[in-house]
Amino acid sequence: MSFREKSAWISLISILVVSGFFFLHVPWTVSPPASAALVHGMMYCILALVIIEVVAHIVVAIRAPEDAQAPKDERERLIDLRATRVSHYVYVVGSLLALTLIHRGANAPGLGFAVLFAFVIGQVVKHAARIVFHRRGF
Amino acid sequence: MTQTTISNNIRRLRFDNDEMTQQQLAQRVGVTRQTVNAIELGKYSPSLEVAFRIASVFGVPLEQVFEYHGD
Repeated sequence: MSFREKSAWISLISILVVSGFFFLHVPWTVSPPASAALVHGMMYCILALVIIEVVAHIVVAIRAPEDAQAPKDERERLIDLRATRVSHYVYVVGSLLALTLIHRGANAPGLGFAVLFAFVIGQVVKHAARIVFHRRGF
Repeated sequence: MTQTTISNNIRRLRFDNDEMTQQQLAQRVGVTRQTVNAIELGKYSPSLEVAFRIASVFGVPLEQVFEYHGD
C-alpha cells in the first residue's frame, strides 16, 4: 500500500471517528438551541482531528520515510483531483439540501450544522474515493 | 477503471533488462511502484513525458513499449 493510500485511510478513519463523536452530541432538530458548548465542542473536535492526523501521518512516515518524502507522481495527483471533484458534487448537493431546511423553520445553528454535516460527508466521500481509485489502480 | 486502449510491453522489457523490478523502473522514471504496476496492467495511461521516460530507460523507441489499439 502506497503512502498516499495510507494517508487516505488515516484521513477517512479519523474524520469518521471525530465527526461521528461530534454529531452524536448535536441535537438532530431543524432548530437546535444556540449553544456555546457545541461550538466549543466543534473546536475541540477540529483540534483532535488535526492531532490524530498529524500523529498518524508521522508514524506512517517513520515506517516508510522514502515513500513519504517522495513527491506525488502524476497518477496520485490525478487521483486526488478526481476524488476532489466527486466530493465537490456531494458537498454542493448536501449544502443545497441543507438550505431546504429553511422551509422547515430551521434557525441559524440548525442551518450551520446541516451545512457542516454536508461538508463532512463530502470529505468522507473524497477520502473513500481516493482509496477506491488507489485500490483499482486509477 | 476500464482498460485503456493502449497495451504495453513493460513487463517483458523489464525482464529483458536484467529482470528490473517495478520499484527500480519507478525510481528511474520518477513515479511510484504502484503507478508502474497500474501502467503494466493497463489500468492507467501515463502522460507523454512518463511514456518517453520509460522508453528511454529501456533504450527503445516508444512504439516498442506502447501500442495503441484504435477503434
